[in-house]
Amino acid sequence: MKYKSISALMLIAVLMNACSTPERSRSIVTQHVPIKTIVTQQCSNCHGMTGNSNSPNFPNLAAQQEAYLISQLQGFRAHTRSDKDGYDYMWGVTASLSDEQIQGLATYFSEQQAVLQNKISAPEKVVRGQDIYEHGISDKEVPACIACHGGKAEGNQIFPRLAGQHATYLLKQLNVFQNTEQRPGGAMMKGVSHAMTKENMEDVAYYLESIHG
Amino acid sequence: MKNIQQNHSDRPLVLSLFGLLTVVMMLVSGAAQALPTFARQTGQSCVACHAGGQYPELTPYGRLFKLTGYTLGERPTVPLSVMGVASYTKTINADPSSDFPKNAVALFQTGSVFLAGKITDNIGMFAQATYDNYANQDPTTNQWSGHSHSDNIDLRYADRFISSNNDLIVGLSLNNNPSVTDVWNTAPAWIQYVPTNFGVTGANAAPMVSQLGQQVAGLGAYVFWNKTLYTEVALYQTAKGALTILKSGNDIGNRLSGSNPYWRLALSHEWGPHNVMAGMFGMNADVFPDPTVPSGPTTHYRDRGVDMQYQYLLDEHAFTTQLSYIHESIRGGDVTGVASNATNTLNQLQLKASYVYRATYGGSLSYHQTTGSSDATLYAGLQDDGTGTGNMIPIPGSGSMNNNPDTRIVIPELFWMPMQYARVGLQYYKYNRFNGASSNFDGAGRNAKDNNTLFVYVWAAY
Repeated sequence: MKYKSISALMLIAVLMNACSTPERSRSIVTQHVPIKTIVTQQCSNCHGMTGNSNSPNFPNLAAQQEAYLISQLQGFRAHTRSDKDGYDYMWGVTASLSDEQIQGLATYFSEQQAVLQNKISAPEKVVRGQDIYEHGISDKEVPACIACHGGKAEGNQIFPRLAGQHATYLLKQLNVFQNTEQRPGGAMMKGVSHAMTKENMEDVAYYLESIHG
Repeated sequence: MKNIQQNHSDRPLVLSLFGLLTVVMMLVSGAAQALPTFARQTGQSCVACHAGGQYPELTPYGRLFKLTGYTLGERPTVPLSVMGVASYTKTINADPSSDFPKNAVALFQTGSVFLAGKITDNIGMFAQATYDNYANQDPTTNQWSGHSHSDNIDLRYADRFISSNNDLIVGLSLNNNPSVTDVWNTAPAWIQYVPTNFGVTGANAAPMVSQLGQQVAGLGAYVFWNKTLYTEVALYQTAKGALTILKSGNDIGNRLSGSNPYWRLALSHEWGPHNVMAGMFGMNADVFPDPTVPSGPTTHYRDRGVDMQYQYLLDEHAFTTQLSYIHESIRGGDVTGVASNATNTLNQLQLKASYVYRATYGGSLSYHQTTGSSDATLYAGLQDDGTGTGNMIPIPGSGSMNNNPDTRIVIPELFWMPMQYARVGLQYYKYNRFNGASSNFDGAGRNAKDNNTLFVYVWAAY
């Protein structure tokens, strides 16, 4: 009786498989899957359709610098970026991406419109954070962020856009830079964040989350 | 995780699943890589899909993975996982000892094999076969013997039509347990987490929707629109013919008459690290009084449930709560002989709150309450003493002198997950009422608190 069961189930499976289409595939290694399909069926689950993520567990990607996105996707794929979230979520989905797919995904998200979060959780922190962002902390030799990330925190090539990013995500990354070697591509940030206190980091993160760039 | 009798005449189900796997792999072409299980299929960690890493509760991403038919990622070369549970169960008052076998004994309890994962871009499955190391006890020698049987099985076809403004997931499921398709942990198939066959870890009475698992075959269709509206309808019959694999190794405890509808409606919303669901579900089931005799009048069970779930998931913290309330009306039991009253009601309330830190250290607190109408047949308090005189005596341990199902349990739990595939847990079942009373519920002097049970388990999977 079981063999009849197996045959029936397999018949159903084979018939239904005839309906599958690469335009709605949830595969990530098949090279014929279009970029837009990878975005809609995979990336959007966490980062949103337009790279504006709902949950602060996942960074916004909309309007992010294309070169930065390429470097991060390559880092996940090569396992050189090994922070916990990268390991938990991104190693798997990037494992088999081709260079062309990485380029396509980076282009797509860099061209999306960032949505202003309008989050101002702590005004006093925002004011202090803006000061750190624009002028640094001279007595701690913390340089001004503005030098690399731009006047509106819009980023520049390999330096990522920070404007409107989730404060939770920014804080997490500052801690990764300061305390680990898990993001060698951002080694410069280890020195930058070295003398920052927890409060300094929170101030900058809340400021950046509040601006549109 | 279920409590029905097993049929020894079936061939080992595990072999059947291996056979099915082989056929699947031979028939379906395409690139395949990596190892089994969903985590290996997606290349992601357990916390991506399970809230705080606590199986089986799903994150919003895990819900999408399931609703899209387990097809996200690449089809694994060997889509198999194994799971084992070792446990220690100690009931406070284990007298008489014959009613509490293996009390205060550490043992290897169950082992499961999962055949699970993507088959094609649109088809995937979750199929579990379980070996129960203490399935049966020989009444003469008191020796225990093991037995394998089918556990939850869910074969899906799904598609997702998604654009900037619209997100529509549609799917079909062939499964063997009403609500096993559900993606919220409030569903009857998922909320009851009682991985022991020993001791008393729940009320004697439960709604029919939770009593049909691994005995039935159901075909359902579902829609999830804009991550907001979920609807599902399905019809269930007792598994037979080509679908007997869905109940393989299990005897039928509740034999259904014809097709029996199950439906589900839920609204979901996500904002920031929060997500919430409010829903309702129902099932009508016509059940023959004798599962071996599929003819004659049936008892009509009408289950209606409301449920809610809230999750806060942000980095190191996972806080979740669940509520499930099911109202059941039972009609026609006086005709079929399973009840004395023409109509009875049963109400089951389950509440749970849990917190997990760094997907490693966690705890939960649950409250289960089962109430309902009194019925001398459904909840018998007396039995014939066997002397042929017609003399009636109490039923020690399981009888209800009030003929009432009223049972209230508080269940605190602590657990530790040293790695993502292993969990050590300690649960305590504290009974405030059992079978209608807090003291002397069986008329033989047993109190509800005598059923208080400590349950320690080690769970591991690969």
